[in-house]
Amino acid sequence: MVAATQTAAQAPAHSTQFLSVERLKKYFGGVKALDGVSFFLEQGEVHALVGENGAGKSTLIKILSGVFPYDHGAISLDGQTYRPQSPHEAKERGVQVVHQEFNLLDHLSIAENISIEKLPRNRFGLLDRPELNSRARKALDAIGLTDIDVKAPVSTLGIAHRQLVEIARALQSESQILILDEPTATLTERETKRLFELVARIKADGVTVVFVSHHLDEVFEICDRVTVFRNGRTIATDLIAETTPDGIVQRMVGRQLAGEMVSGDEQKDFGGVALSVQNLRTEANPTDTGVSFDLRYGEIVGIAGLVGAGRTEILRGIFGIDPVRSGEVQRDGETARFSGPGDAIAAGIGFVTEDRKDEGLILDMPISANISLANINSVSQAGLLKFAAERRQATEAGEKLKLKYGRTADPASSLSGGNQQKVVLAKWLARDPKVLLLDEPTRGVDVGAKAEIYAILKDLARSGVALLVVSSEMPELMTLADRILVLAEHQIQGTLQRADFSEENILKLAYGQTELAGGNSQ
Amino acid sequence: MTLQTTTDTLPAPSRFSVRTVLQNAGIGRALLALIIFFSVFTEHFLTPNNITNILTQITINLVLAVGMTFVILIGGIDLSVGSVMAFAAVVAGKAITLPGFGPAEAIALAVIAATLTGVLCGLINGAISAYWALPSFIITLGMLNIARGAALQVSDAQTIYSFPYAFEEFGSAMIYGVPVVFLVALVLVFMAWFVLNFTVFGRLLYGIGNNEEAVRLAGQSVRRYKIAAFTICGFTAGIAAVVYMARLNISSPIAGIGFELNAIAAVIIGGTSLSGGRGSVIGTLLGAFIIGVLANGLILIGLSDFMRQMITGVVIIFAVILDHYRAKYAAT
Amino acid sequence: MKIFKLAAAAATGLALLAGTAMADDKPKVGLIMKSLANEFFQNMMAGAEAHQEKRGDYELLAVGMQNETDFESQINAVENFITQGVDAIVVAPADSRAMVRPLKKAMEAGIVVVNFDVALDEDAKKQQGIELAFVGPDNRGGAKLAGDALGKKLGEGGKVVIIEGNPGADNANQRRMGFEDSVAEYKLDLLDSRTAHWETEEANTVFSNMLTAHPDIQGVMAANDSMAIGVVKALESAGRTDIMVVGFDNIPAVGPMIEDGRMLATVDQFGTDMAANAIDLALEVVGGGGELKGWVKTPIELVAAQ
Repeated sequence: MVAATQTAAQAPAHSTQFLSVERLKKYFGGVKALDGVSFFLEQGEVHALVGENGAGKSTLIKILSGVFPYDHGAISLDGQTYRPQSPHEAKERGVQVVHQEFNLLDHLSIAENISIEKLPRNRFGLLDRPELNSRARKALDAIGLTDIDVKAPVSTLGIAHRQLVEIARALQSESQILILDEPTATLTERETKRLFELVARIKADGVTVVFVSHHLDEVFEICDRVTVFRNGRTIATDLIAETTPDGIVQRMVGRQLAGEMVSGDEQKDFGGVALSVQNLRTEANPTDTGVSFDLRYGEIVGIAGLVGAGRTEILRGIFGIDPVRSGEVQRDGETARFSGPGDAIAAGIGFVTEDRKDEGLILDMPISANISLANINSVSQAGLLKFAAERRQATEAGEKLKLKYGRTADPASSLSGGNQQKVVLAKWLARDPKVLLLDEPTRGVDVGAKAEIYAILKDLARSGVALLVVSSEMPELMTLADRILVLAEHQIQGTLQRADFSEENILKLAYGQTELAGGNSQ
Repeated sequence: MTLQTTTDTLPAPSRFSVRTVLQNAGIGRALLALIIFFSVFTEHFLTPNNITNILTQITINLVLAVGMTFVILIGGIDLSVGSVMAFAAVVAGKAITLPGFGPAEAIALAVIAATLTGVLCGLINGAISAYWALPSFIITLGMLNIARGAALQVSDAQTIYSFPYAFEEFGSAMIYGVPVVFLVALVLVFMAWFVLNFTVFGRLLYGIGNNEEAVRLAGQSVRRYKIAAFTICGFTAGIAAVVYMARLNISSPIAGIGFELNAIAAVIIGGTSLSGGRGSVIGTLLGAFIIGVLANGLILIGLSDFMRQMITGVVIIFAVILDHYRAKYAAT
Repeated sequence: MKIFKLAAAAATGLALLAGTAMADDKPKVGLIMKSLANEFFQNMMAGAEAHQEKRGDYELLAVGMQNETDFESQINAVENFITQGVDAIVVAPADSRAMVRPLKKAMEAGIVVVNFDVALDEDAKKQQGIELAFVGPDNRGGAKLAGDALGKKLGEGGKVVIIEGNPGADNANQRRMGFEDSVAEYKLDLLDSRTAHWETEEANTVFSNMLTAHPDIQGVMAANDSMAIGVVKALESAGRTDIMVVGFDNIPAVGPMIEDGRMLATVDQFGTDMAANAIDLALEVVGGGGELKGWVKTPIELVAAQ
């Protein structure tokens, strides 16, 4: 354990304290969201905020961006008190935030979205479209998005591009501090790289960047200093050069992580083929051949690929959500025709979706009701709910998945991201699925919960469940999977066995290449 | 590090109703305030006769609002209930005045005709909006016209009258000063409360209102439940038609104009969210009372018709603002 | 574009005229009704159709409306009739002001216009510089007949309330004023006056509440029979047999109520014949009779138990 001493990074006398936060506290009713947050920013640095979900980072950002007022403590910006009453005021003072949840208007064009706060007008007071479009062009070019049509509606963009448009919008106005709240959660490696180049560029312009991330390697790649949050407090601020990822993780969780990144070559015996996909083509798939692969009982197969390579579409096609154009899915060797999720579920398949808020959870409903959603028949009789059975189910699932919650009757929205994801898992595990499809199972989940989810998934595989995991995080796939299918443009570009696992190999295949570093693709 | 479960001894239903009570506390207090206000400032408000009057007067709206609660809970709206009620009343009026039936048979026939008509209209509303995923606002707006036209067509725009005496008896019967028709409405409220809180069906309606996609991906047939919600709403419109006929002893094809808006207002004032997923039928009961007490009290106080209309509007807006804050506190 | 449209309209108009001229010489009468959802106008329409069949010497083109306030479709109907080249337009205006202009156009096109049921606004007529007779009942006088019947029974100081029709509607205003005339003449005590929008259920609710506020009510004047039915039902639920009710229109449903004394009286303005009578008058003018002037009053009658 590294003792949480006052490190050298604490306010050297000569530094320019551009923004300083002192003993900040914030309550929601009786709940302490922030319980003593102190740190400062220097001009032109990239400063990371890290901590488990619920540690207080999001609340702090909302205070800095003028969404909430604070209750105690003080913030000063450029030597003056900073207490923004509204997001507008925060922006006036030069504090820009790119939120985790997007604030784009789907049906408006990219150009309109970029200028939405201050739409240009011509001399008749009408919208000045040429100016609007040229502004947007400039903003997008500035972050290297030269290939995007600014007149297209935002709804045509993928999730990653939306993120970049948000950043372009924030950078357009004069900003002194740019706060990026988990900007890479939805980005592929290539896009992340592009974002980092961008961060380096604006840093060189003297802008201070606050970077919130669950990816420590990213923090170590681009940040100068890092402040660790735990339970609403700041634990310490370190110079990146003087600390290690392990040290930070220990500060974050207050305990040592099991080394789950071991990539041993343990030999496993898999069962029969649980799911066979033959030339599957969904509506979105433009190829002629589609996708074919087998998934055996007890096996974890990973699906890697860039955003837009058609990963999620495969899962949706298998699960009967989206219509399938051609090809077929076999379950235990028999052709299955799923006309909807209900059929897939009946065939023993579960689907942990990518988007917790939109597809996975009913946030306002109790935890127990969320867990019983997919197997409500087992906690009801003749259409009547058996509340005791439902509660028991939730309690048991909670124990098994190490869920942190108050009561099973609390709404799912009361949980942190990691625990919400566990509830989604519990919902499907309650059905004892034979095949489990997972789409980005740890997105927006903190490091501790991630490790726990990995352990759960591995246990499932050991007990004979077949798992198909889509993920943008290569370390995640390398930790979990027995095999990784790499998709490029809706086709399987190659399959990697454990011996060949490396980020380099995955990336090569994802970028459409076939020559691998440590072996051959199959 | 799991914090659980010894404290979690309360059964879920009572947790549910504890929350329901909390959610309804604001509206309950508002109702109480209105009652106290009118009791103090008018002479006759708190008399047995007037209470009977209020109960009679809110019955039709309450019955319609119970069905409307189901539809609004799934994020829909039914603008057709007033017209469907008139259509059902006219069809039942034709049935009850058919020659050759004894009073008991005629009444039974009328009740069946009214509820079937209502159910059919609701089924059509639900099926069309669910199968084509169309906004129920516009589908039920269409049904509003269809049912009104059908009511006029079937009745030839004439008021249908001279129903069996027993039917009239039922309409004006009292038990300890409580109108029997109001008791019928209360039974509906109870049934709705039970269905919404204790059945899989009710659970999934709340789920659909909150997050339709999550329910669909959990393998449930969202369409079927949506259709069911609209059908229930049509059914209550049919029951409202029976109450209308029993109370006034006529069937008028122009009955129920604007009733849909009163029913929606009762549901919203009762704290059910217009975007679905949140609310309760107990709130609807209170909402119907607020509207009824206000209509009654403002006449007793001697306010002009126009002022009355304005104040009702203000109350509706106020209720929605209240709901906004309720939602905000629920979120934090 | 506009010219083309005009030309097209003129062409169809001519074609229609030519067509009728060739077919036979029967005059065409365009009848514009109010809301056919209203029992009263529905009956009137049926009366007009029966009349046409009986006389057989004219062609009847009838148009109804969606609801009471839908005067837009009435204006369209006038314009269509002008295009079709009818000989006479017989109209029950939904709005006493809005209809004046389009009817002026019809008159300029040489069409005989007869205004019945509700009189067009005098000022509006003057403004447009037209003179147009009105054929119809005296709503105010009719209401006064009913009010007087009540006044006679109650005597001086009798406590009454009025249940009004739609606020702003012409006949509702006329009937209210008629009731008020009776109140003044018989020195009645008017306790309250409220609208129930012509509707039974609302009248039932509104009157129950008025009765609670004023338990000493002795008489009720309802501006139509549908509302009178609602009042009668409210009295039955309240167990009051001492309060007298008068209505207006004489719809079939109130027949039994007048007979058994639950209602004191209603007023029959012979709505069934009203349109037919107006058509007769219009055909007289078309056939070369003298022009109509002023107010041609149609019969009204108090209906009470024998």
